[in-house]
Amino acid sequence: MFEFLFKYPASVFSKGTFVLLGSWPKWALFAAIAAAAGILAWAIWRRRAQFAPSLRGMRVIAIWGLQALTLTLLLIVLWQPAISVTSLRPQQNIVAVVIDESRSMGLADMGKPREQIAADLLNNGLLKRLGTRFQVRLYRLGAGLDRIPDTSGLQANQRATRIGKALHQIADESSTLPIGAVVLLSDGSDNTGGIDVDTMTALEQRKLPVSTIGIGSPELNKDVELDGFSVPSRALPGSRLQARVNIRQSGFAGNRAKLVISGGGSILGQRDVKLRDSPEQVESVEFSAGKSGVQELEARLDPLAGETNTANNELRQVLSIDTTKKRILYVEGEPRWEYKFLRRAVEDDPALHIVSMLRTTQNKIYRQGIGNPNELADGFPSKPEDLFAYQGVILGSVESAFFTPQQQQSLKDFVDRRGGGLLFLGGRWALSDGGYNVPPFTELLPVNLPQRKNTFQRSFVAAELTSAGRTSLICRIENDPEKSAEHWEVLPYLANYQDPGTPKPGAVVLARVDAGGTRVPLLITENYGRGRTAVFATAGSWRWQMQQPVTDMSQETFWRQLLRWEAGATPGPVVASTPDALLEDDGRIQLRTEVRDKAYLPVSDADVQADIVEPDGSSESISLRPDPLAQGVYSATWDAAKDGSYVAEIKAKSGTQMLGSDVLTFRREDGVAENFHREQNRELLQKLAAETGGRYYTPRTARRLPDEISYSEAGITSREIKDLWDMPAIFLLILMLRSGEWLLRRRWGTV
Amino acid sequence: MRLRSVLFATLPSLALFSALCATVPLSGPENVPDDASKVGLRTSRKEQKPGVFREYPGWEYNNFPLPPDANVPGEWVFARFMYSAVPTWRGRLNNWTIDYPRSDRHLSAAVRRLTRIQTRSVEQPVAAEDGDDIYNWPWLYAVEVGHWDLTDLQASKLRDFLLRGGFFMCDDFHGTIEWETFVASMKRVFPDRPIVDLPSTNPIFHTVYDLDDRYQVPGEQFVYTHRSFEKDGYEARWRGIYDDKGRVMVAICHNMDLGDSWEHADNPLYPEQFSALGFRIGINYLVYAMTH
Repeated sequence: MFEFLFKYPASVFSKGTFVLLGSWPKWALFAAIAAAAGILAWAIWRRRAQFAPSLRGMRVIAIWGLQALTLTLLLIVLWQPAISVTSLRPQQNIVAVVIDESRSMGLADMGKPREQIAADLLNNGLLKRLGTRFQVRLYRLGAGLDRIPDTSGLQANQRATRIGKALHQIADESSTLPIGAVVLLSDGSDNTGGIDVDTMTALEQRKLPVSTIGIGSPELNKDVELDGFSVPSRALPGSRLQARVNIRQSGFAGNRAKLVISGGGSILGQRDVKLRDSPEQVESVEFSAGKSGVQELEARLDPLAGETNTANNELRQVLSIDTTKKRILYVEGEPRWEYKFLRRAVEDDPALHIVSMLRTTQNKIYRQGIGNPNELADGFPSKPEDLFAYQGVILGSVESAFFTPQQQQSLKDFVDRRGGGLLFLGGRWALSDGGYNVPPFTELLPVNLPQRKNTFQRSFVAAELTSAGRTSLICRIENDPEKSAEHWEVLPYLANYQDPGTPKPGAVVLARVDAGGTRVPLLITENYGRGRTAVFATAGSWRWQMQQPVTDMSQETFWRQLLRWEAGATPGPVVASTPDALLEDDGRIQLRTEVRDKAYLPVSDADVQADIVEPDGSSESISLRPDPLAQGVYSATWDAAKDGSYVAEIKAKSGTQMLGSDVLTFRREDGVAENFHREQNRELLQKLAAETGGRYYTPRTARRLPDEISYSEAGITSREIKDLWDMPAIFLLILMLRSGEWLLRRRWGTV
Repeated sequence: MRLRSVLFATLPSLALFSALCATVPLSGPENVPDDASKVGLRTSRKEQKPGVFREYPGWEYNNFPLPPDANVPGEWVFARFMYSAVPTWRGRLNNWTIDYPRSDRHLSAAVRRLTRIQTRSVEQPVAAEDGDDIYNWPWLYAVEVGHWDLTDLQASKLRDFLLRGGFFMCDDFHGTIEWETFVASMKRVFPDRPIVDLPSTNPIFHTVYDLDDRYQVPGEQFVYTHRSFEKDGYEARWRGIYDDKGRVMVAICHNMDLGDSWEHADNPLYPEQFSALGFRIGINYLVYAMTH
């Protein structure tokens, strides 16, 4: 229909440039249009008295408009409109036909295998029609790109689809070959993270259009798929963790399935999920991290009856569990029960160690948990690097004036620069009663403290969770979230509370207390700089221990989780990371390491080495180079050639001085990604075609491809001028305008 | 006439006997479950509320003046355990009130003066029979435990209190017989946990003061007898019971009378050195209880 009305395919219009072939200048056209419209208006104005009474006002303007448009069209035709378009010269150009041969092309979701559909489409005329105008080269696409003589050998057995890599290769070949266009027959299931910028740039530079033919159903068919599995890459031993699993389904809405998280051969957590009538849903499963070391975690959804593909029901991740205990410095200004019961709560925690200094009398400090007799012997650390040896700090009922200005600044740097956690407890010498209404504490605190004293009250109050607290792992005192919330409702009253003021923007209130009908924040957390700060505005949670049965672990669990949150994420001087710890079919991995000294200032002249232990036990050592754009950052790209788990130990030293080390784990999985996203990725194919100047086709519309593909600026081309004045669309439009005027006049009773 | 003579002789005798047998009521408990089998179970918040300050007639003191800040709450409160005493021919006496409340308030004042602990000026008599109130006072003291005879409920409640993290200090009992009486009830609290001598290296002797050199602290009787011991308790014994982590949860001061050393700290006839050590021991034990 388009070609009937406009004479040429749509691609001619999208790629061509509009021109006027008439010898008269363009301005003359605009002048003629303006003059014709003016004369018409003048003529109507002169004869207005003779008009029928029903033809007044806007109706006259409408008649004038229709007549003016008709004249305008006629004038445009007189100026000979045409389109200038570049097209490939017949038989002088190559068209690269790329056929996806990955395993997902073996799926028979459209009645027969996708590979077969692609081959039939080519063999039943498309190749022949392309061959009449171009030289055709056939390629098969998988992990690489290989030229093939014909479609007979296609087997849909490649373990990966790397569309970007293949297109980059063709773009490179086009520098020596007259490749005028690329035709890609694929389901679009690229499993290397899409098409990279380099490839798109290469295609753009060579003006090489990629026309895509999408094969396969664009929707899942009777299938459930795990689309994502995220867990923290690092954790402390025995930590409570939350795995988030994305589930996609088609045809199973309303069904129930068991979602299981396992690791080390045992089930760590599981729950029943109800599949919702939505394309995607996110479910979370909580579980406890195991002991120290590297753990492979697996998320698995039990297969449902009638599922077409069960290979996409499981995903894996690697979890690294820290081997060192986090040391927390607890500064307490007075003996009190909270001090005792807090220490006891984390005493058996394999990941935490509390070093405390307690002012028992005005001039005496009692130290507990110290590593050697000299630790804290001179009181609170006066040097930042001594304070930075801890991963967390707790300030109890101790006045702000207890700390010198330098120590106060160290506390700020401890959070901001070192990335540590700082927890403020309630007490008669804490928060506003302790004079914390001064910088830098006002910056560090997640609340704006009240501008008054006597905010600490020895009244029994009930703690209650906020909606954020119900989902927070800090407040999860039972494995089951619902049971945990129920347990909070029966927790003994706190022995006291303190008004911490109002939470700052960005702070999260996890719990509050009911103080005589007024809700006062109890537990508030916030991220600050590289670290974290929190306020627990009470010193009375010891009643959770004394007033509950001996077997009840809620007080211990709460404190362990709060302190793990506080200190668990505190980085060391050397922090290694990678953007993607799970490599699917592609072994290239980017290693990034941030190096700091004891004062946690970036180090630019470090010698950074990564010792990588491969799945078979062999090892390789590589150097990381400094990043010129980021101080203290070192990076390297490495190829993980083998399938399996890798452990990289990154060590940094400056001269002979060791700065620190970190361990990074990652995993390569080959042939697994092909089991996922097996529906046609129409969006990718459409976007690829649109951005390169090609078009997206379905097998049904692909017959237009040989005609439309001719208009390309790549390869050997010639410029053509195509007349537009005789387009049927113009004459049809003039006819419609005249008919429209007649119909209006008839309606208004003037004809 | 003869009957009137008999009645005349009998009634005064009965009245005198009743007066002698009269004892202070144990607690006036708000809830009297008295079912030892239910000790340790989860209770409601209402049952966990602490009792308000209350006073009882003491063995030695009645109408002891209240300090003006008696109603000001504190972090630590001298909690006195209201135990049941062994029966005598006069019935079960109120031995738990010996030295009460003067001793308690003197130690409270010393703790307030010498440490940074926010201390309530008045004590709190605590009964095992008062629901879960006992768990609100993690430091518990009992005097004259050489005369105690715990009920099943008291023994169970004390055991549960200690296992949850409470600390119990007992004092003012002397010699072999009182020791055996003490142990008889203590074994009902912890049948399997041994009572051990605390070495001087134990942190309990070093929390605030280094108390390597300790001596026997006698009671007020020293003023009259100049004897530091009572009965056959010639040597002060610093004993205790450890929890599973090796922490002292029961501190047993045998053959000494720390209670008197606190009570008579303002008695010019009572030697200062005994009160000085008594307070130091009390403060060390208290700070230990609040740190371990």
